[in-house]
Amino acid sequence: MRTNPAVHARASTPPASQAAPDRDGGWAVEVHGLTKRFGARTAVDNVDLLVPRGCAFGYLGPNGAGKTTLIRVLLGLTRADSGTMSLLGIPVPSRRRDALARVGAIVDEPRFHGHLTGRENLKILAAARGGNAGQQIAPALARTRLTERADDKVSAYSMGMRQRLGLAACLLADPQLLILDEPMNGLDPAGMHEMRDMIRDLADEGRTVMLSSHLLDEVQRTCDQVAIVDHGQVIRQGPIEDLTAGAGVAIEVQCSDPPAAARALGQPAFATRVTITGDGLTVTLAAGSGREQAAEITRRLVGAGITIYSLQQTHASLEDWFLSVTSRFGEEK
Amino acid sequence: MTQHALAAGQRSSWLPPLPVIGAKLLELRRRRVLMIVTVAFTVALPVIFYGVRLAFHLGDPARYAPAGAPSAFATAVTVMDEFGFIIAVTLGVTAGTADVTDGMFRHLVITGRSRLALYLARIPAGLSILLSLAAVGFTVACLVTGFLGSPLPAGAVTPSPGAMADAGLWLELDLVIAFTVGLGLGSLMGQRTVPVILLIVLEIIITPIMSNHVLPYFIDGQRLLVGVAMDQLKPAVLAGGTRIGPGGSIGLNIPPMPTWAMASVIAGWIIGWSAIGAWKMSTRDA
Repeated sequence: MRTNPAVHARASTPPASQAAPDRDGGWAVEVHGLTKRFGARTAVDNVDLLVPRGCAFGYLGPNGAGKTTLIRVLLGLTRADSGTMSLLGIPVPSRRRDALARVGAIVDEPRFHGHLTGRENLKILAAARGGNAGQQIAPALARTRLTERADDKVSAYSMGMRQRLGLAACLLADPQLLILDEPMNGLDPAGMHEMRDMIRDLADEGRTVMLSSHLLDEVQRTCDQVAIVDHGQVIRQGPIEDLTAGAGVAIEVQCSDPPAAARALGQPAFATRVTITGDGLTVTLAAGSGREQAAEITRRLVGAGITIYSLQQTHASLEDWFLSVTSRFGEEK
Repeated sequence: MTQHALAAGQRSSWLPPLPVIGAKLLELRRRRVLMIVTVAFTVALPVIFYGVRLAFHLGDPARYAPAGAPSAFATAVTVMDEFGFIIAVTLGVTAGTADVTDGMFRHLVITGRSRLALYLARIPAGLSILLSLAAVGFTVACLVTGFLGSPLPAGAVTPSPGAMADAGLWLELDLVIAFTVGLGLGSLMGQRTVPVILLIVLEIIITPIMSNHVLPYFIDGQRLLVGVAMDQLKPAVLAGGTRIGPGGSIGLNIPPMPTWAMASVIAGWIIGWSAIGAWKMSTRDA
């Protein structure tokens, strides 16, 4: 098994900037030392994760990073090998049924009985939930804009409609916590926009939305906080602004001879990465860098006889940060 | 107690509540092809059988016995049993696998409902369809036998209501066995085709061989087959008026089983396969 003490130490301690738990003493999701193995392969490796209540929380990682496995373990769809977990302050799996009373979830691609209508599928799930879930069917269909197609067979639904039906199924629980696994998968841009709006609305109502995704841009647009997972381990977690701020800035340089410019810069101490682009360079700076480093880049390029057409400082996106932390993680292995 | 706390408490019960059974019933009866085939082999089959017999008798009364003759009753119920077994197995396997193959199992588990309750809900849901349709078909057979049986062939006796009720209960019991075994095996294997083939082979190949041939040193093994036990339990009226059943041996070449042994084998198959199916349902990764 791979070990990385530095990363573990960081992952095990909740970031100071992270929101405190709700005043009733619980996090929406609390995971400590969770491990899940499939034979010799460790899918989830000693993960600690704290999801504050009332926010949209992104669980971000490349395909195969262990996102879905963690969600499946949380929901009791498969068993953990070790670790402790709670949902809404209720320990799982020991009190899984109590915990799931106010949890809605989509795991993987939402699939339903294709020979039944959307409404009938929801009736089945409402019957299983019990309580007043049956009364939530119509509002859930309306909220996911499926009312007009509710009496069509699910086999005739598009991928986007099935995703929305999955979300409607979540809403039957009047959930305090929604766990959505790759909810944007298979959606066209309009569908993604719609799903993003629905997720934001749910979070704005005070519900906690934990969504896993490999679509960094979507997470950045939708979520307040994020955890990065790679190779089954949580590498970082915290508010997006704090994390991306820590990733530093990038200087985009348009110049006459990019390869020569890269040679002229070499690997300066202040830069974490120098990348040749089509018409210039992108120099990623370490956290805390800024104007002085931009000036140094200019001096070096001019000194080497490179013509500079433009030089622009940009903030690192979640994607830049994600790539930097995951690649750094990879280098440490 | 809040509505949701109440619901959580109810969901932990292993007993399936009526809405959950109703939901499974909805899922099964909306399967159009399966329902058409089920109706065809439970209701349409005896209707067609007796319709043909009636037409033959009306066309040539001297050559063809009345549609309600005891031999026709025995033939009709035996045919209903053979086809009913296959339909019951198919329905059971479908009930046991549909949630998994359609991707609904995961949604159902996430509701927090007891997996055992979800499994047990399938039994009354499937049997309510199967047994009610078989009862309709069997009622047709009883009505024809009761009202269109004269003139009786020489030596024949119209089955008494009690004898017909015995035959009906035996038929329904065989369907219950087929359904629960199909449900358990389907749940265990998680797919439809192989369990259906296995159980059809059991019914139409292995059971007749084991019922009619004594294998040296394996007689007790043969008796463990549910089909052998059911054949020995078969009411006499289904042999066309000739006595078989406990202590009898019509058409059966293996020594008769005591009644307690038959009951044990039948109960063992129903309970055993239900337990296997429920165990798999409770431990399956969703």
